Amino acid sequence: MINTALQGWGLWAALAGACLGTYICRAIGVMLSGRINQDSEIFRWLTAITYAMVATLTVRLILFPIGLLANVPSWARILICVLSIGVMVSKPTKRLVPALLTGTLLMMAFGSIL
Amino acid sequence: MSKADQPYIDPSEIPLEGSAAERFKTRSDAFWSGMRDAAGAPAMVLFAGMVGFGAMGRSAGLDGWFTTLSSIFMFALPGQVVLLEMVVTGSSVLAIALAVTLTSTRFVTMTVTLFPQLHDKDRNRHLYASVHLLAMTAWAVSMKEFSSIEAKHRLSYFVGLGLLCWILSVPGTILGYFLAGLVPMPITLGLVFINPLFFLLTFTEVKPWINRIAICLGCLLAPIFTILDRDTSLLTTGLIAGTIAYYFDRKWLRKRAGLIG
Repeated sequence: MINTALQGWGLWAALAGACLGTYICRAIGVMLSGRINQDSEIFRWLTAITYAMVATLTVRLILFPIGLLANVPSWARILICVLSIGVMVSKPTKRLVPALLTGTLLMMAFGSIL
Repeated sequence: MSKADQPYIDPSEIPLEGSAAERFKTRSDAFWSGMRDAAGAPAMVLFAGMVGFGAMGRSAGLDGWFTTLSSIFMFALPGQVVLLEMVVTGSSVLAIALAVTLTSTRFVTMTVTLFPQLHDKDRNRHLYASVHLLAMTAWAVSMKEFSSIEAKHRLSYFVGLGLLCWILSVPGTILGYFLAGLVPMPITLGLVFINPLFFLLTFTEVKPWINRIAICLGCLLAPIFTILDRDTSLLTTGLIAGTIAYYFDRKWLRKRAGLIG
């Protein structure tokens, strides 16, 4: 696997390209944000798009993971997510940390029987 | 100004300038409060993710500087994972830059939806520096908290929040790099999983119905578009799901009082 990996200048050029591409997206955001009012229709629309994008990224990370997480079967990943959300919404008060711990510990437990 | 003599105000109704409720006295008060809020779950999650990333980089046989520099200058974990994967499989430099940039397109709309909520005085060229601190974690927290923070203190709060996350990501990556191989596999698995799980859990705290619909549609459409084309899936799903949610909100939800969060 290492043989096909980028070596030398290619490696650093890829890093520079990735950093630049990411920062350009942030900078475009700042540029556009100057012209947008938070009470406008376009603001509501873009907010909805952003939430949908973030949701997509999350689903992609959970259902189509790269690397180690891919060794865990999809049903286990989904089941652990459902259980964690269950803990999260079980009470209307802050349940983020218990829910995070539930999911992480379950994933570790599953990993140890793999 | 005490809270008791203020009439009840829905946090989302607080206007951009001069709000009734004062959550923070000064800018530094807001900054440190942002740091404190980051020091809980957000920084813990990001730190764990970076440890996982550092470990992934080491096991892929990459240079330690490579993983660390990507955490400092990209500071976007999903994009970093794409970079790592494509470098290891030997993709071309151009293909890598393009794929990572497509994964980062969310920063355009994340910034556009966060920064207009800042005070007019803060909306200047300095934002080109502050924007680097923006990550999904800080964005999710800020979107939730901004509604209860007066406009003039929002930037300080955001910088405190983002700065701690950014600073911690560096030792996280380095630690992961040196721990790789020493840490048992199940623990690395937990570290890698905690990031997407955190995002998923924060969705349950989103209040406005238009955004809830966008999230649900995004979750449903994401697998389809990811199978069709992984690189562009963020953009296509975001546009389609977000637009449907917006249309639905405009056509039906707004006419029904009490449904708008």
